[in-house]
Amino acid sequence: MPEPIITFTDFSFRYKSQTEETLKHIDLTICKGEKILILGPSGCGKSTLGNCINGLIPFSYDGEIKGSCIVAGLETRKANLFKLSSHVGTVQQDSDAQFIGLSVGEDIAFSLENNAVPRNEMLELVDRAAETVDMEGHLKDVPYDLSGGQKQKVALGGVLHNDVQILLFDEPLAALDPQMGMTAVDLIDRIHREQDKTVIIIEHRLEDVLFRHVDRIILINDGTIALDTTPDELLRSDVLKEMGIREPLYISALKNAGADLSLLKDLENAEALDISPVKNLIAEHFHKNEPSLEKLESTGEVLVEVKDVSFDYGGDYSLDDMNFTIREGERISVIGKNGAGKSTMAKLLTGIIRPKKGEITFKGQNILEMSIREIGRLIGYVMQNPNQMIAKNIIKEEVELAPRLNGFSKEETDKNVEEALRMCDLYPMRNWPISVLSYGQKKRVTIASILCLKPDILIVDEPTAGQDYRHYTEIMRFLEDLNRDYGITILFITHDMHLAIEYTDRSIVFSDGNILADDYVYSVLSDKETIKKANLKETSLVTLAEKAGIDPEKFIHAFIEEERRQRTDGK
Amino acid sequence: MENRLFINLKPGTTFLDRLTGKTKVRVFFVLIFLLIATWDIRFIAPLFILSIIGLVSIRPNAKKMTVALIVILLLNLFNLLLMFLVEPDYGLGVVGGSTVIFKITDFYIVTKETMWYFLVRLMKFMATFIFSLTFIQCITPSEMAAGLYSVKIPYKVCTIVSLAFRYIPDITRDFNNIRISLQARGLELDSKRTGIMTRLKQYILILAPLVITSFDRVGMVANAMDLRGFGKLKKRTYYAEHEDTKGDKIMAPIILILLALFLGIVACLIIWPPAFEVWCPWIK
Amino acid sequence: MSEKKSVGSLILGKWNTKTIVGIAIGAALFAVLMNFGGIKIFTNTSLTTAMIVDVIVGALFGPVPAALTAFLGNFLADLIGGWGFWFDWSVGNGVLGFFVGLIPVYAKQFDEGVFGVKEIIIYVVTVIIGNALAFGVVTPLLTYLFYSQELTITWGQATAALIGNASVQIVIGIPLLLFIANRNKKSSNLTKED
Ligand SMILES: Nc1ncnc2c1ncn2[C@@H]1O[C@H](COP(=O)(O)OP(=O)(O)OP(=O)(O)O)[C@@H](O)[C@H]1O
Ligand SMILES: Nc1ncnc2c1ncn2[C@@H]1O[C@H](COP(=O)(O)OP(=O)(O)OP(=O)(O)O)[C@@H](O)[C@H]1O
Ligand SMILES: [Mg+2]
Ligand SMILES: [Mg+2]
Repeated sequence: MPEPIITFTDFSFRYKSQTEETLKHIDLTICKGEKILILGPSGCGKSTLGNCINGLIPFSYDGEIKGSCIVAGLETRKANLFKLSSHVGTVQQDSDAQFIGLSVGEDIAFSLENNAVPRNEMLELVDRAAETVDMEGHLKDVPYDLSGGQKQKVALGGVLHNDVQILLFDEPLAALDPQMGMTAVDLIDRIHREQDKTVIIIEHRLEDVLFRHVDRIILINDGTIALDTTPDELLRSDVLKEMGIREPLYISALKNAGADLSLLKDLENAEALDISPVKNLIAEHFHKNEPSLEKLESTGEVLVEVKDVSFDYGGDYSLDDMNFTIREGERISVIGKNGAGKSTMAKLLTGIIRPKKGEITFKGQNILEMSIREIGRLIGYVMQNPNQMIAKNIIKEEVELAPRLNGFSKEETDKNVEEALRMCDLYPMRNWPISVLSYGQKKRVTIASILCLKPDILIVDEPTAGQDYRHYTEIMRFLEDLNRDYGITILFITHDMHLAIEYTDRSIVFSDGNILADDYVYSVLSDKETIKKANLKETSLVTLAEKAGIDPEKFIHAFIEEERRQRTDGK
Repeated sequence: MENRLFINLKPGTTFLDRLTGKTKVRVFFVLIFLLIATWDIRFIAPLFILSIIGLVSIRPNAKKMTVALIVILLLNLFNLLLMFLVEPDYGLGVVGGSTVIFKITDFYIVTKETMWYFLVRLMKFMATFIFSLTFIQCITPSEMAAGLYSVKIPYKVCTIVSLAFRYIPDITRDFNNIRISLQARGLELDSKRTGIMTRLKQYILILAPLVITSFDRVGMVANAMDLRGFGKLKKRTYYAEHEDTKGDKIMAPIILILLALFLGIVACLIIWPPAFEVWCPWIK
Repeated sequence: MSEKKSVGSLILGKWNTKTIVGIAIGAALFAVLMNFGGIKIFTNTSLTTAMIVDVIVGALFGPVPAALTAFLGNFLADLIGGWGFWFDWSVGNGVLGFFVGLIPVYAKQFDEGVFGVKEIIIYVVTVIIGNALAFGVVTPLLTYLFYSQELTITWGQATAALIGNASVQIVIGIPLLLFIANRNKKSSNLTKED
């Protein structure tokens, strides 16, 4: 019987500013050396639970605690944060905010500095930690030169000292592209095995976490523990769908095929999964509704033409001889790993930065001769972080801003604003303060505030980063409608392959400042070569298709269409 | 845009660069105090030369330096001109003589003493400036924090300094993003096209989101620090503060000497206040 | 934040990590705006918007943190901008920061979104007193003491700064404070209209 290291008994917590308890009667035991995944819809209390374990509650969040929570033998309510922090190491979601030091070395050393460890000892410990997270080559690097993934590694390195027994990760993958996500998950797994620590991961991206084995999955819903079981059990059941959490794609595919999952072992890992028992079933199901692979060539008028555009920031990074066109009414996904140059391309299109060479035309006229302001009327750019765009307190005022600044007439302003608000169905809430909105709603406000200028093209940077499945679909469906019902051309920037497949027709793949592929989305993203070169991660559907001996491209296509049908039936 | 700033995040390799933050901070402050304390060219001239040697020794980006130096030089000269316009015979008061070189009008006379004073003043100010330029060029923020800590400034304050440096580039980037996204939505910042009042009002549109995004960080950063035991102990050590090098051992006594000199000067000024603030060879 | 706080604690502010970080980020923002956030008036003179940062820090953390923010912010701005080292102005800004940062002392429910006419009037008064004291007295005095500069000129420069800052802190500061106050408002009974 392994000894428990974390025990919640009838534990409840209420934030001071809230009227209701956020955590309700939690009973949970986690044993030494376990690896746990905590799942749940956004706002259900995952982070709150995490903060109860690492002591931030009650240390820096006031509130009312009932019941008991014992971590490494300490009753968190009585123990102080510093005592706890020597047992629990926490890695948070925002890899940038938690990077305190001015270099990798310093950041890893931060907790040692606070413990006044003499420098000569410190050096050794830092080197060791850096090695564990393989960043030893980067000790002198400054945060601004690091990718999101590297920052997360550093954050992990920073909490490995004074042999903490518990490692707590709150959405460690949120900002990482699939490849980096895999590396991170692998790293966490390695540390878990080699240093037998207790690992607790809070994450929305179930499939990515399951890339490596976890012992238990705890499903939280509305502040209570809804389910506490093994990955296989969870995947066999249907609770995920019911709770609006995305199932791993291959699982959905299997279920769609009506496969009896109880026949299958190691469900949790698409690679290891042996599907022989249900192989025929899948094939049959596939052939029943095999998709017609006709490519829907866009026939819309050419809006934007990018001709041999090159650009660099003066550093070693550069975009070279970009060439592509955007046609009216298209849905294009721009994908590529972190730092591939996606946002840079968007900035070029919107005139924020100007190419060193080549030209960009909009309906034939050269946009390089226009001001940012003029381009803004033609090509709208929605930045990743809505807070960076919101300058007013009330939704309506925010949306009115652009027409006002552009000196539209009163009537025109009102007309455009109402239209934009209705398109983003914010009209009923038009007089609400923006501060009460959810992330997804805020995103819609920023989109509305761009739409009211009636641009022909909308560029949306990472629309779903760090969103749970419900908000993710909410945002994407909304954009889909914009495209379908109002014929707005949409360019997504994303590194979520499945999002690209699900919601776009054409895909442009970036890699180190070059265009690797620019084609029909299914063909691009089921092509192993491209995926490897772009160092992205193929979806588990491809793996499954190959196991079942089906052409991946068609298989994915069939899957998406089936999902669509289910959705429309669901509506 | 980071490269518009005058601080380096990575330590350099020259003699001054390799000193510890402790030494750098001490040398800097004692020199500044010294310069502030004295108006005697017999001290200022050597310090002025020293400052130039210092600046050259760290092989800074020549172009950037010349620009900065010229700007400051002009600023100072302009200042002197103003002083002259307000009070042409300034020398009389501070140097204690009025030997006319030539007259412009009856009021605007150019005297040797005034010119002498202006010379001293210019040297003094340029030296101060060049020292601080050298200082910021050869120190990294973390070394600065460590150095300040070594002169008994509470480490929480030192942390404020290094943290601030940590977030300056991020905030600069936010600032540009916000500004640009508003321009794309039609904000007109061109001073030719809009009046000052409107531009003031428009700036609110940039500052509001900037302030919000900047301070939204606070909670998360603070948590990250608390979780790694910030503020746990009364004292703290610094990863960036390496052991004393030979250079530091050499500098240590020099710092003491300079400090003694400074105290000496201050003492003299208090015990025997000079008849005139500024020493001048031909005035006894 | 309903419980009573002594004026003393309000002035000092809570000295936890959040405040430290707040000051640091404030100082960084101050330095950035000092170097990039100037509003051109004539060709070579421009108003700096940095002065609103201590107002905000004051509103969020109290006067002493605000003073520290302004002091350090100015220090950093000079260093990174390559302006040398003018601690007479840093101190002046510190003093100013303290006054404009008094907000929590008189606007006790700022963090619940209360910032009415009364508060605005007091704010304007603090801005004027603060600027007058900082750049009308403290800075010139220090400049005179340490750089023995002709007082008339110092005052000339100080007055310019005084007017510039005051106008920025009033014209931009007030709407910004209202913006933040409104954000803190606990909005009740929001209803959908059509
Ligand atoms: N500091 C706080 N003060 C008051 N309420 C809070 C605070 N932090 C979180 N809450 C509330 O507690 C609930 C749970 O928040 P929490 O962050 O734990 O959710 P979560 O499961 O982590 O969501 P996500 O997946 O989006 O991170 C939310 O309704 C949130 O509004
Ligand atoms: N303002 C800038 N100055 C200098 N280099 C920059 C700047 N912005 C981005 N870069 C560099 O350009 C490269 C491409 O950055 P970009 O943001 O376009 O990548 P991305 O594809 O959007 O990555 P992500 O998926 O993380 O958003 C990166 O190496 C980045 O470090
Ligand atoms: Mg969370
Ligand atoms: Mg990007």
